[in-house]
Amino acid sequence: MPRVNTNMDFFTAMEVSASGLSAQRARMNVASSNLANAQTTAAAGGGPYKRKDVVLSSADIPGTEGELGGAVKGVEVSSIKEDTAPPRLEYDPGHPQANAQGYVAYPNVNPVEEMVDMITASRAYEAGITTMSTAVNMAEKALGIGK
Amino acid sequence: MSIGKIHGVESLPGLSQVEKPQTNLGESFSKALTDAHALDNDATQQAERFANHDPSVGIHEVVIASEKASIAVRYAVTLKNKALEAYHELMNTQV
Repeated sequence: MPRVNTNMDFFTAMEVSASGLSAQRARMNVASSNLANAQTTAAAGGGPYKRKDVVLSSADIPGTEGELGGAVKGVEVSSIKEDTAPPRLEYDPGHPQANAQGYVAYPNVNPVEEMVDMITASRAYEAGITTMSTAVNMAEKALGIGK
Repeated sequence: MSIGKIHGVESLPGLSQVEKPQTNLGESFSKALTDAHALDNDATQQAERFANHDPSVGIHEVVIASEKASIAVRYAVTLKNKALEAYHELMNTQV
């Protein structure tokens, strides 16, 4: 996204929290994908669905690279990796996807883990919103100096 | 009877040494207006892209862009108010 460059330092905090909000949104999307596919036995590419994990890395926000000696970093989703844990095998010989021994490979998704991930993402999103509101409040207070 | 000078007023030694500012208030005001205009355009664009289902624009980005535009406009208005205030203050000087 092209950034409108201004000399307003308050916007840096807003840009950084915005990158955090986007990252948490990505985590939320991935968690919902994992939960939705918790029973998917025939994913694209064959085999059961594999649980996805978001890898976050710190990134420079365009236009703020030099700020505070480069200490100010945003966050970005660097990649989405597949969980390497083995699939969960369940005995169900009547299932069309069952193997020769009668076992069906279900995704390596643990709904409890996904719920925890979702709650963490939601709380982190709230924290980002709070940072943002505080930055906006500070800017408003600065504009009100002398009133 | 002679009235003596008030001590210290005759020279105001610091006054001639004050450097002239690099930019004047008009320039800062016009810069603030340009910024506000750019941010307002940005907010409009983001809202349009969000309305057109661009997946790279989240709802928070739209709200943040408009919040930024709002702050920039208020900054410009504050500069304008301060400049006007200073002008009125000078114009109302009793002579």
